[in-house]
Amino acid sequence: MLKFIRNIVLFIIAAMIAGEVVVRITHAVSDVPQRIIDGDGIQKYYPNQTGYSLNGEHTWLINELGWPGELPKSYDNLVLIIGDSFVENFMNPNECHQAPLLEDRVNEYSFLETARSGVSFIEAFEIAKQMDTLNPVKSLLYINDSDFYESVKEISEKQDITQLDISKSRVIHGKMKSPGIKKVLYNWKLMYYFYNRFPLNFESKKPPKKYVPKERTLKHANEVDGLLNYIKTKYRITDKILVFHPYSSKKLITKCEEVGFKVISLDSSNDSNSWTFDFDHHWTCYGHEQVANQVARSLKSSH
Amino acid sequence: MLFNSIEFFVFLPIVFVLYWFVTAKYLKAQNLLIAIASYVFYGWWDWRFLSLIAFSSIIDYTIGLLLQRTEVKSKRKALLWISICVNLGFLGFFKYYNFFIQSLVDSFTLLGQPLSINSLNIILPVGISFYTFQTLSYTIDVYNKKLEPTKDFIAFSAFVSFFPQLVAGPIERATNLLPQFYSKRVFKYDLAINGMRQVLWGLFKKVVIADNCAKYANIIFNNYEDYSGSTLVLGAFFFAFQIYGDFSGYSDIAIGVSRLFGFDLKRNFAFPYFSRDIAEFWRRWHISLSTWFRDYLYIPLGGSRGGIKMKLRNTFIIFIVSGFWHGANWTFIVWGALNAIYFLPLLLTNKNRVNTNIVAEGKYLPSFKEIRQMAITFFITLIAWVFFRADSVTHAFLYLKGIFSSSLFSYFEIFPVTILSLLLFFIIIEWLGRNSEFAIENVDFMNKPIRWGFYVGLIVLMFAYTGEQQEFIYFQF
Repeated sequence: MLKFIRNIVLFIIAAMIAGEVVVRITHAVSDVPQRIIDGDGIQKYYPNQTGYSLNGEHTWLINELGWPGELPKSYDNLVLIIGDSFVENFMNPNECHQAPLLEDRVNEYSFLETARSGVSFIEAFEIAKQMDTLNPVKSLLYINDSDFYESVKEISEKQDITQLDISKSRVIHGKMKSPGIKKVLYNWKLMYYFYNRFPLNFESKKPPKKYVPKERTLKHANEVDGLLNYIKTKYRITDKILVFHPYSSKKLITKCEEVGFKVISLDSSNDSNSWTFDFDHHWTCYGHEQVANQVARSLKSSH
Repeated sequence: MLFNSIEFFVFLPIVFVLYWFVTAKYLKAQNLLIAIASYVFYGWWDWRFLSLIAFSSIIDYTIGLLLQRTEVKSKRKALLWISICVNLGFLGFFKYYNFFIQSLVDSFTLLGQPLSINSLNIILPVGISFYTFQTLSYTIDVYNKKLEPTKDFIAFSAFVSFFPQLVAGPIERATNLLPQFYSKRVFKYDLAINGMRQVLWGLFKKVVIADNCAKYANIIFNNYEDYSGSTLVLGAFFFAFQIYGDFSGYSDIAIGVSRLFGFDLKRNFAFPYFSRDIAEFWRRWHISLSTWFRDYLYIPLGGSRGGIKMKLRNTFIIFIVSGFWHGANWTFIVWGALNAIYFLPLLLTNKNRVNTNIVAEGKYLPSFKEIRQMAITFFITLIAWVFFRADSVTHAFLYLKGIFSSSLFSYFEIFPVTILSLLLFFIIIEWLGRNSEFAIENVDFMNKPIRWGFYVGLIVLMFAYTGEQQEFIYFQF
């Protein structure tokens, strides 16, 4: 029995080493950049990281400021592009990111992306405030309805997301969720591969549903009003342009305009081609190009 | 719980350690552990259906004891029929109720008398066809006095629910498996190593061969109108290896895992695609089901002893029932009937037992005659698999029409080189190992580093070419 167990353990170790090598060579899982929380309470990435996307089809890059994407050649006439996973955009190669696409279309500005998955509406303003040292002339905030709701603690308290406690008029910065386990999982590629490949959660075993966009309706109107009032009083909003995803709630957009925001409302309804991946609501390269076309048109007209 | 899931890789070592280190001294405790572990294994899918297994176990255990107490023929027969009705009643309700209702409605509609009977939203309990046949074999064997009924309910429960083969076989006979629960198991290193080897090969068959073939078989079968005849042949080819890799892979894992616990299960597959005629194919494919039908249906019906009429009748009955066992759909019935048609000429000319040895035994390569025989047998099974895989009989006929069209000799629209290379590797290993119980059983001629390198190589292929995780096909049967 002991001989059997010893051999099995040795074999498992050998197989795990071989598996780790194969998973790394074939890029069977995406590399995940490591995060830190800086002195302002903002979650960003350790600077100067690079890694492969799933199957190694392209690489991603974290610049020296700790944000995904390349730094602009010049900081003159700088426009910040702030957003969540849509702007972070690890699923597409660098040429499909908003900064290079907009640079191609609007020559008079330079663009810098400051995005991270999970950024809420309130956190976008915290990031913008921190980036004021670069003297941006405008900030484009790519947002969705859920970014508003996630920003308010009274709607649903979330430890890992930066939220506003309206009752106390206080911003609560998000904490990292299980940082130790994540660090192990992201470095031990084979284990991360198993984690993705054989989820323990039964729900995730169901075949993914094809993503079909649909018009959203405004929820939690009072809390959204509280959030917008707080932002209006605590942050500069005149240089912020809110870029709403397609099918965002019209009432929500109107509310933002009434507060004084400039708004770009993206529209994909007349496009016969889908902007998103089949089983993922994120934009494809094609989707990002269409977004950049509409944002560029709006920037030029307001110039 | 799937064999190819993380849950099982946690579950198995826990049960193994408890079995050999905690309960090893007490046979009853070991059997109880197996029964509990089996219920956990099954309940992981849906705990509600554990009641069905428990109920079947209680009924057949009780009937076994009652059969022992009486010698009155009519009483014994009545008891046997109670067991058959209860077990087949569950099977009939859960598996065939909607099929019969729909067929009835369709028949009356065809006669111009539409009926309005609603079908029910019934979930098919995983593995019901397997454990039903297993418990039935116990009652029938006790009735025929081939087996002493057990007085040990825990052993009987463990036999009915034995987790390695509970949901997709092999369908064990009580005469083989039940006595193994009566005697103390001793850990045997060689048996356990052999079991691990079989588990590894079974996982390779499932994860690399079946799941990858499934991807292309699904694409081609679901969009058959868009493809040429040559690609449709490739689709059927992929399905042939999907179902073989899937089902024989499951059997390998089941047999291998059983060996870790000191049990010896029946062989279920014996390299069926190297068969030289359809009779040989059916001696090598799903052996535990074929022999079950042979012993409990074909022989009681008279087998092949009577005249031509009886042979014809019995052959069609056994193949059609076997097809129907696979699922409540006319496609399975046609699949069964087609195999009967393939088989009959051999039976009627007494050539059904010509090829009983291993093909090209003791040689590396087969003769041209053997290649021709194997190719023909494989091709006709391929045609039959089209019915097995198709959604309906119409779908199958349209698929076959697509195959036998002018585009049969055109270029393939789909030709996944990597998967075909893996299949070639798989076929070569299976061919080289065809003298053994499973392909990589006899690899001891390699020295340890090479042997371990080979095992690790298989695991690496599993990591690198793992297909989309799919349930085992035979779970639905």
